[in-house]
Amino acid sequence: MEYALDILPQRLHGALKRHRVTRSLRRPPRYFTDTSNFTAIDYGDIIAIDNRFLLVTGYTREGRFGIEEQVKPWVPRTEDLENGEKFILKLVFHETFDMQLGQFTINCYRNPEKEARVLELVKDHPHFMHGRSVLDEGNNLVRILDIIGGSRLDKYIHRGELSHQEYFFQKFPEVIRQFLECVKGIQFLHENGLRHGDIRRDHIFVERDTGLYRWIDFDYDFYMPERPFALDLYELGNILTYLTARERFHQKTILNHPDMGQAVLDTIVPGDLSVLSKNRIVNIKKLFPYIPDRLNNILLHFSYGTEVFYETVAEFHDELAEAMSVLG
Amino acid sequence: MNDWKKILIAVDQSETSIKALNYTADIISNLPDAELCLLYIYPEPPPNYYSRGGSLSDYQQEKTAAAEVIFQNSMDFLEKYKLQKKVITQSKMADHITISQAILEVQAEGQFGTVVVGKRGVSKAEEFLFGSISNGIVHHCSDFTVWVVG
Ligand SMILES: Nc1ncnc2c1ncn2[C@@H]1O[C@H](COP(=O)(O)OP(=O)(O)OP(=O)(O)O)[C@@H](O)[C@H]1O
Ligand SMILES: [Mg+2]
Repeated sequence: MEYALDILPQRLHGALKRHRVTRSLRRPPRYFTDTSNFTAIDYGDIIAIDNRFLLVTGYTREGRFGIEEQVKPWVPRTEDLENGEKFILKLVFHETFDMQLGQFTINCYRNPEKEARVLELVKDHPHFMHGRSVLDEGNNLVRILDIIGGSRLDKYIHRGELSHQEYFFQKFPEVIRQFLECVKGIQFLHENGLRHGDIRRDHIFVERDTGLYRWIDFDYDFYMPERPFALDLYELGNILTYLTARERFHQKTILNHPDMGQAVLDTIVPGDLSVLSKNRIVNIKKLFPYIPDRLNNILLHFSYGTEVFYETVAEFHDELAEAMSVLG
Repeated sequence: MNDWKKILIAVDQSETSIKALNYTADIISNLPDAELCLLYIYPEPPPNYYSRGGSLSDYQQEKTAAAEVIFQNSMDFLEKYKLQKKVITQSKMADHITISQAILEVQAEGQFGTVVVGKRGVSKAEEFLFGSISNGIVHHCSDFTVWVVG
């Protein structure tokens, strides 16, 4: 065990001792150059990497929808003792798990190298988070991320007390204008042979100061050699469905909705459901009749009743851009 | 148009692959100048294959051995047709491309006039996620003929 005050340069002792995190600490801060055993690292400890001394000030949390917020010990929030700059670190965590997609099971894993490759590719791209990757002394590929100040897209679109119709005509066109830029970003990844891997509505952050929508979290990967980009494309469709309806609609959601209920539910046929998730409705026009056909037809490409799929993200992007030009 | 009697057949472990072989053999067994190439394409190793300590050459050895078994079974099947002398075999990894693209590459290099593939008959959802080799080939077919055996 190494202690921070035994190793840190003298000039940083004051900054460490005065920091709010260490002031409330009941043990001496420790010092890590190897993050292999990341669960041993805690608040108030120092991770020395990339010629910086980074103080662990907290952990990121993520609520998978409906599930209790989960602390992620491999994703610490840190602060550079020298200048107060803040970074999120992603430490190497080799995890494999099966993802259930309708009747299919897809084998997923975390791939730090892939995230590093994406970070390098998008280092000047405004619609992705930025960061760099360095090896620690244990040869772990640590990703040092710039923090995006802002909020998750799915929370952001619920701001204000708007009815769905007000949301759809006042806010939605601008949301999609920004979302289209994100879609182009994914197209750019695919053209470079990379995929995002975990496209979800909480993996787009809306940056407070710039209004930019930016993708985060690139370490998931999966093995689908014949259609390497299909899952990204499918998930983009899911986000679009969510943005259009402003929530996820299941049979039950319709039944409980004050303006819908049984009468609307009775209109729903199997072809209106998602191709991979048989209880989610994608034919949103049946719920909100003012949604234009052009837009709704894009959603229907992801339905159980579809005859055609989008082959590429470019096709999806171009049809969405066209549908929106009509909406204004 | 390439010579249709120069035939490339994509084989794997499946039932439909044997069906396709059967169909092809029936057609060409009486054609003295037909040539048949059995092709086995395998995908790249899953990226986490390496993090588990595997190497590309281990993987390729494993797949080449699997290909030999497939070829042997196919040859056994073809025996009653007396076609052995007209048949060659090839196995290859789809390197940074999909399996259907790899088949198309071999077709172009060898100037095959006919490509034979089996069709699994997958659901729409499955095709969206995992692709369909027969559709991929049909989609990009030019200067040759495709036989899709279902
Ligand atoms: N660049 C960033 N800017 C702001 N917040 C971020 C950034 N990167 C990550 N976060 C926050 O940290 C959380 C966890 O990060 P991330 O999603 O990358 O980790 P993860 O372990 O890969 O998550 P998952 O379990 O979804 O794969 C995010 O949900 C987000 O709240
Ligand atoms: Mg995440």
